This record gives sequence, C-alpha cells and structure tokens, in this order.
Amino acid sequence: MTTLDPKPAKPEGRKDPWSQLLDKVGKHQDREAYHALFEHFGPQIKYYAMANGLASHAEELVQEVFVSIWRRSCLYDWRKAAASTWIFTIARNQRIDMLRKMQRSSAEMLVETEDLWQIPGDNEDEPVTSLHRLMSERRIRESLSHLPEEQITVIAKVYMENKSHQMVADELDIPLGTVKSRVRLALNKLKVILQDQNV
Amino acid sequence: MTRHHPDSLTLMEYSAGNLSEPHALCIRLHLDKCPHCRSRVDTLDSLGAVMMEEQPKVSVSESIFDNILARIDSEPAAETVQPATPRISPLQKLLGEDLNELPWKRQLGDVSVLDISEKFPGQSEQVVLQKLVAGGKAPAHTHRGNETTIVLQGAFADQNGVFNQWDFVVLNEQDEHKPVAVGCEDCITLSVLSAPVKLTGKFTRLLNPFIR
Repeated sequence: MTTLDPKPAKPEGRKDPWSQLLDKVGKHQDREAYHALFEHFGPQIKYYAMANGLASHAEELVQEVFVSIWRRSCLYDWRKAAASTWIFTIARNQRIDMLRKMQRSSAEMLVETEDLWQIPGDNEDEPVTSLHRLMSERRIRESLSHLPEEQITVIAKVYMENKSHQMVADELDIPLGTVKSRVRLALNKLKVILQDQNV
Repeated sequence: MTRHHPDSLTLMEYSAGNLSEPHALCIRLHLDKCPHCRSRVDTLDSLGAVMMEEQPKVSVSESIFDNILARIDSEPAAETVQPATPRISPLQKLLGEDLNELPWKRQLGDVSVLDISEKFPGQSEQVVLQKLVAGGKAPAHTHRGNETTIVLQGAFADQNGVFNQWDFVVLNEQDEHKPVAVGCEDCITLSVLSAPVKLTGKFTRLLNPFIR
C-alpha cells in the first residue's frame, strides 16, 4: 500500500542507505559496498566533471574521487554528514585540486585544497549535530521541488557549472541583481538565509 | 557591506567551490571558529549534493572501477588518511608561528603592512596583511571595490562596532571608517583586494581596511 505521508517512516538520525554503505567501507573495507557507491555516485561525478568543463578528464575525476573516498572513509562519520554530502565535498575538492595542479607546480602550492575547503567531519572538535544534518538533505530535496525553475537554473549553474553569479548573469543576459535575488529567494526557502545576521 | 559573518551568497560560492584561493582562505578561517556559519555551509554542501543527484546520469564504464581497485591495492595501507594531530592551520602553513614576527613594513603612523600575494600564485587578487598597533588609530578612509577582511589577531573598532578575532568584514566605496585597535594586542587583519580595474601600482597604493 502506498502512503501519502511525504515523510519517510524511518526515525530521525538513522543512516540513509548510502551512508550505511559508506560506513561499511570505512569500518570493514567492504568492497561490495564500495562498488554499490561507485554505481550510484560514479555517474553523478562524471556528469559533474562534464558540466564544469572537465569533459576530457571526466573519468579521471571519477577515479580520483573514488580513491579519495576509499582513503578517507575511515574518517567518515554519518552523524556529521550524509554520504551524498560528504561525497559531493570530495568531488568538489578533487575538481579544484585537478585544476590547481594543471595550473601550477605542486611546489607552488603552499596550502592544500583541503586547507581551504573542508570535508565535513574532518575537524574533530566539531560537535556532532546529527539530527540537523541528516534532516537537511531531505528538507532541501523537498523544498527544491517547490522552487520556480528560474531559481533552480541559477543554483545549478553555480554548483554544477561552477559559474560565479556574474557569469550566470552574463550567460542568461539578466542583471547581476536579478541573479542574486533569485539565489536569495531560493536560499530563503532552504532556510539558509534566515540565519544571516547584519547582512 | 557585510559585517562579522559572510553573507549566504558568498557562502554558497564557497560551498560550490567557485571562490578564489585567498577568498576561500578567509571563509575557511572564519568557519573554523564560527559554528553558526559552519552549519550554514553544511546545509549548502547538502544543497550541492542534491543538485548533483538531480542532474542527468551518464554511464561510467566498469573498467574504471577495476582501475580504482588496482590503485587502492597497489598503495600501502599507510596511504589512508589519518586525522592530523594536531592539525596545522592553513594560516600557520602560510605565515609561520608568530604573526608579530613577520617582516612588517611600517606604513603611516600606527599602521604596518605586508603584501603576501605571491603566496597565492596564479590568483589575480592582492592579498595583504595589516597591523594596527594596540590602541593605535588609522586615518579615516573609504574603500575601492570589494575588500574582504578577516581579523587574525586582536580587535578593531569603528563607528559600526567592534571586530574581534575571526570576524569577517567586506567593505566597499560606501564605507568610510576610522578604525582603532582595541584591547591590549596589536590588531592584525588579512585582506583580499579585488584586482584593480585600472593599474595604480601595487606598492604605491596605501592599503585597507585601516588606511588607503
């Protein structure tokens, strides 16, 4: 029987299936779980590379991201981030890393990419706020379905094509102010902007 | 003007990985000390994950997975990442242990500066450290373009309030102020200045946020 209740029956704070798999990789070097993650996230990462101009390095990026997932999986803490969020930040960092390495020698890189862009959970001092974090992806997915297409388009260009707000404005031939107000409206719905202070 | 915390749009550009390295450093230093903004970035990172999931799927050949397994099998287990104890802050990597010991260049009165742009090769912004001696005053000045600043040590105050260690501030041409270093320590800030549209000479220009 199908239910109309939009909220899944699972209790808050329980691991989603991908986080369970990632947990198995981290704790037991479980290769079956690793392969399942590859099948699910590999295509997403490949598309991500293609969308942001790394088409000729797309599969290379997939490899780098998965090697990195394997190496750091022992640090993964499902209470600090859902697997998909954690993997997104690794993909983002590996993309930045790849671009940095194309542009300069490693001797010139005084700070590592991870010194600048943090992977959630790496900072051990960070308090565990599992409820808030596990809720947020579900809430975002739900909120996104109510956003107008024009707002989603702008967010997608920022996240997937890695365009600045100015570049998005140029491409869509709309004023920068319009881009910013679309982003603000969307972030407002996603409850990010409500937490702004003195802005 | 953005004061004390980065705004959501900037945090989104950070989460998406679109900021320049010096800008990302300012955000990262702030995030390490601000659980409030950290939690906003967590939400934004989740937005990134959901956006990635919503895109069209492309197939990845199974041979890629074989390559990955070959890579992880060929590497010693020591390659797995262990949490660094204690973690060396990016600031320390860039500038060493003691900010006060850097080769500061005395500018005007109570203000000293140090241009560290060369530590970010390939980036177009000017990156500058500034020091205002404890109790010292900088002359009134305005700002050109957007200048992002984070307080690394001590605190300064202007008519808009007090800026403590790890506070974040973005100033532009509308913001005239006359900062004073408060507390018993010298106030040290890190500023990222957008590349000037017209070249005015990197070293002849007096620097913000304390002084131009």
